[in-house]
Amino acid sequence: MIEALFSQPNYLAAKKTLDAVALRQEAIANNLANLETPGYRRVDLSPGFEKQLEQASASGDSGQLAALQPTLAPDATAKPSSKDGNTVKLEDELMRMNQNTMVHAMETQMVSGMLAKMRLAITGHS
Amino acid sequence: MIELLSGIKNTSAALEAERTRLDVIAQNIANAHTTRDVDGQPYQRRVVVFENQLQNAMGAGATDGSDLPAMQVASIQRDPRPPLQVYDPGNPAADGKGMVSMPNINIHEEMADMISASRTFEANLAVVKNARSMAMQTLAIGRH
Repeated sequence: MIEALFSQPNYLAAKKTLDAVALRQEAIANNLANLETPGYRRVDLSPGFEKQLEQASASGDSGQLAALQPTLAPDATAKPSSKDGNTVKLEDELMRMNQNTMVHAMETQMVSGMLAKMRLAITGHS
Repeated sequence: MIELLSGIKNTSAALEAERTRLDVIAQNIANAHTTRDVDGQPYQRRVVVFENQLQNAMGAGATDGSDLPAMQVASIQRDPRPPLQVYDPGNPAADGKGMVSMPNINIHEEMADMISASRTFEANLAVVKNARSMAMQTLAIGRH
């Protein structure tokens, strides 16, 4: 059926990466918002997600990919840079944000490309 | 309404809080020589205290991003440092020895604070800009 079109492992992986990137943007926004809140600990994507995504796309199993759900968790590795216990570093965070935007641009282009190819296959012209 | 710009709620809360901080710094600088505040005492430096809602609620658990703690201004407190003593016998507020109690404000400290506050403000504006460009890219999916 038509769902088969949108359940290819590549398409699903791109979609999940987009989900993760959007969530990451939320985490970075929150970290920058709390740049000066005493005792705040920075959050980021749960470290297990990338590994899970890698395993799921290597297995090629659409069900496994569709079940993936990115989550946020406090970053346990970040060390406070000042006495107030805040673990956010402005430069790092801005760097991550720009990196995240680039990944987002790449993924949206990839999804657009896949949709264009599908359209080409269906209609014969793009 | 759908949230098109992810994480923007906390960013706007932070922008508002930094704005308050800048206002308080402006007030401190404006009152750097006020020897009589509303209570008759020399003006005391005000400090903005930030806090984080729900910090404890979240703990160390994973979240889907909906319950991220938003920051806000907890209170505006007075700096407890004693007033500066300046020798100025001509001042009506001078005591028997010609000493005047001036507000405990160090202009350089305020300027440094102001720069830090405006940099944080800018960082949050950068977040808005990035969120916007990401949203535009998302809306352009499938367009060619």
